[in-house]
Amino acid sequence: MHPASWVGWVLAVMAAALATTNPFYLAVILLAVVLVAVLAPREGPGVISFRALAVFGGVMFALSLGIAAINGSYGDHILFTIPGPEVPSWLGGLRLGGPVSAEGLAGAAIRGLAILCILFAYGVFNGAVSPHRVLRSTPAALFQASLVVTVGLTLLPSSVEDLRRVREMRALRGAPGGWRELPALVVPAIVGGLERSLRLAEAMEARGYGASPPLPAAPRLAAAASAPLLIAAAWLWFYETDWRPLAALLTFAAAALLWWWWRAASRGRAVSRFEREPLPAAERAGLAVAAGAALGLLALRLTGHGALTYNPFAGLPLPGFEPLPALLAAALAWPAVLLIARPAPARGAAERDGRLAAEPAP
Amino acid sequence: MSPLALLEGVTYTYPGSPRPALDGVSLAIEPGSLVLAAGPSASGKSTLLRLFNGLVPQFHGGRISGSARVAGLDPFAAPARRMALEVGMVFQEPEAQAIAETVQEEIVFGMEQQGIAPAEMRRRLERLLAELGIEHLRGRRLATLSGGERQRVAIAAVLALEPRLLVLDEPTSQLDGDGAEAVIGALEGLRRRGDLAIVVAEHRLERLLPRADAVIAVEAGRAALLAPGEAAAVLRSVPPAVELARRLGLRPLPLTLGAAAAAFRGRELGAAPRPLPAPGAELLRAEGLAVRYGAAEALRGVSFSLREGEIVALVGPNGSGKSTLFRALAGLVQPAAGAVRFDGAPAPRGARERTARAGLVPQDPALALYQESVAAELAETLRHRGLPRGRADLEAAARAWTVDGLLDRDPRDLSVGQQQRVAIAAMLAHGPRTWLMDEPTRGMDGPAKAWLAARLREHAAAGGAAIVATHDIESAAQFATRVIGLQAGEIVFDLPAARAFAADGPLPTQVARLVPGAVTLEEVAIPCAA
Repeated sequence: MHPASWVGWVLAVMAAALATTNPFYLAVILLAVVLVAVLAPREGPGVISFRALAVFGGVMFALSLGIAAINGSYGDHILFTIPGPEVPSWLGGLRLGGPVSAEGLAGAAIRGLAILCILFAYGVFNGAVSPHRVLRSTPAALFQASLVVTVGLTLLPSSVEDLRRVREMRALRGAPGGWRELPALVVPAIVGGLERSLRLAEAMEARGYGASPPLPAAPRLAAAASAPLLIAAAWLWFYETDWRPLAALLTFAAAALLWWWWRAASRGRAVSRFEREPLPAAERAGLAVAAGAALGLLALRLTGHGALTYNPFAGLPLPGFEPLPALLAAALAWPAVLLIARPAPARGAAERDGRLAAEPAP
Repeated sequence: MSPLALLEGVTYTYPGSPRPALDGVSLAIEPGSLVLAAGPSASGKSTLLRLFNGLVPQFHGGRISGSARVAGLDPFAAPARRMALEVGMVFQEPEAQAIAETVQEEIVFGMEQQGIAPAEMRRRLERLLAELGIEHLRGRRLATLSGGERQRVAIAAVLALEPRLLVLDEPTSQLDGDGAEAVIGALEGLRRRGDLAIVVAEHRLERLLPRADAVIAVEAGRAALLAPGEAAAVLRSVPPAVELARRLGLRPLPLTLGAAAAAFRGRELGAAPRPLPAPGAELLRAEGLAVRYGAAEALRGVSFSLREGEIVALVGPNGSGKSTLFRALAGLVQPAAGAVRFDGAPAPRGARERTARAGLVPQDPALALYQESVAAELAETLRHRGLPRGRADLEAAARAWTVDGLLDRDPRDLSVGQQQRVAIAAMLAHGPRTWLMDEPTRGMDGPAKAWLAARLREHAAAGGAAIVATHDIESAAQFATRVIGLQAGEIVFDLPAARAFAADGPLPTQVARLVPGAVTLEEVAIPCAA
């Protein structure tokens, strides 16, 4: 699958998971993500095994429940009570221990579900696409900035390797290990990392990176101005309901400014691309499905339809379940269809995948 | 023809440095010529090379005076993007110059930055892959390549912009013998093309000296452009065959082994083999060591014994198991089979206990330096080993490694060569009887290698022993009493040095090919008449 498809999918999952607090829909989204995760290829250098991801997700989920329990909670269905100190009221109502209600745990579990969805989606994306492949498909306006991030990401593993080697050298000098060793480990690893970054920066400079003429002031100002406009628009929309038309207008103005900056930035960089991965029609359709699902759920949430919001503190009612939002959530599994069918991928991509897979580990 | 690059009276000082790194350098590089930059570490070679594309002073800062002209541009002022089109630069470490993920992406990166059309990129890519003999690597990930392959990719990547000057800063110093040969072979290929000027800083002069049009001899910030024959007479470190001719007083100096053999014909050169200390009691023994990493067998049934007074050179290609053998001896990996014995008794299990008696110096030991003074580094090793660490003890340890002048300096302010010495001293400051050294000569210049050989000989004379992994045959011949060859995890030969380095041995030195019976220069008996 094209990196753009993966980015679109992750964004759609994030939007959907944040749009609803209904555990049924969240469960559907999570199932969709897990289905994709099982089928997704793993080619990037930063591949995290699905097992490790599941363990991490489980820990996050447990943590979310645990914190809810320690904080204590309100509600009618008290399950048990944790003894805890009385916290003075001037600390702003912070609670430690106290009664643990089914409502509180349910609320924490719902938040945890949303986090799990986003975490898994990001993990799948990370494993399926190497940062360098994402870079190749980055729009020109963002290319230089993305390159710096990508190169930074590839430096990280070598710093970890430095840390391992320094630790070993300390042992060879008879150092006992343990926490007191930490400065002796970290200082050389950081110094080594800095030196390596400097050498890489030098090599990139020597190869003519990043010396393209700077963007003119006007588009840069436009990009900067769009941020306060967007903030103002959001504030008006949510807190001054009478001013919503103006908020919409401001949003539109900000979008126009950003678009202008984008155009200028794309043209200003005299960078060409050797190979661009084509985006197949099936994946374009998939991206449309993703956008449709995310926007549909958001629209339902904003208009208050489809039982997207659920409040456990209203006496633990049974969450609603309607076919349309459930269908939209299930639509987020669309990469699974592409991954199962895998209609003979583009030649270049097939060649590359084959080569990457055939290589022995270093 | 006007010169491609012209430096006039360039004096340069790095920011924060009291002394200039380059002092009044004037020289001219002709188009299409091959120029060798030679001189000891920290003499200013790297700084000089960085003048050509303006990294000095544009990237590094500092103060500069004098003028420069490279391909019609002023490198001190022209933007890097413009300079990259005229001057390509390849650095020492393959890892620290790769930007992309695969070979093909790496080669096209510079062209993409310059906005070259895709069809033209394709044409140049195909030509470079063929020219540097790396067609088979096209789609490979850089992380899976060997050092020699990566350096050839780096050369292709800078040549993609079709510069008129290619500058290489010690491109082979981090490579093993085969990798270095491949890179130098690639340079020779480019040399034959003829339209590209090449300036290369290199310690391995054997192959490049006879082919160079000129040599920049660099010493303490001063540089002079000389003909190769003149340079051979004045450079501090030259190949052994040239050094021998120098000692015989021959003029002109032969630059190749063949020319040296012809020049020495008819001269009665005798051999006086170096007396070796008689091996004493056994210090270390490996019995059928086998190490597995998953399914891969890194070592298979390796057995040998090491006695007092023996210095073993451990040779073998990359991946033959040299580092694994050291790790197994030092207790960093547990062998699948076999045992290690110290002084006839089973060796202790842990790495800390083992290295108290058989100290291991891993590759690039300077990475672990972190204290604020050399004295503190030495004191730390002594503290961990429970040894006294008063000023007198530190001075004694420093004297043994001839770093006593540096005791109060900060290791980070030292030159690379000094750092290497301090790091080795810190790893072995507790005075173990057995030294295990993993490629200590990597990145060392001539004087540093001589320093190491002297320390090893002293150690052997005092009844110590060492195993030294190395790719550098000529420097191994300076200190080894015995040579063990490792291949695919097995010992393929275990010979006394005199036989291993002899003309008919597995690793003949230059001297051995010229003077039967001798393997190093000092073993050549020069007749009084000469």
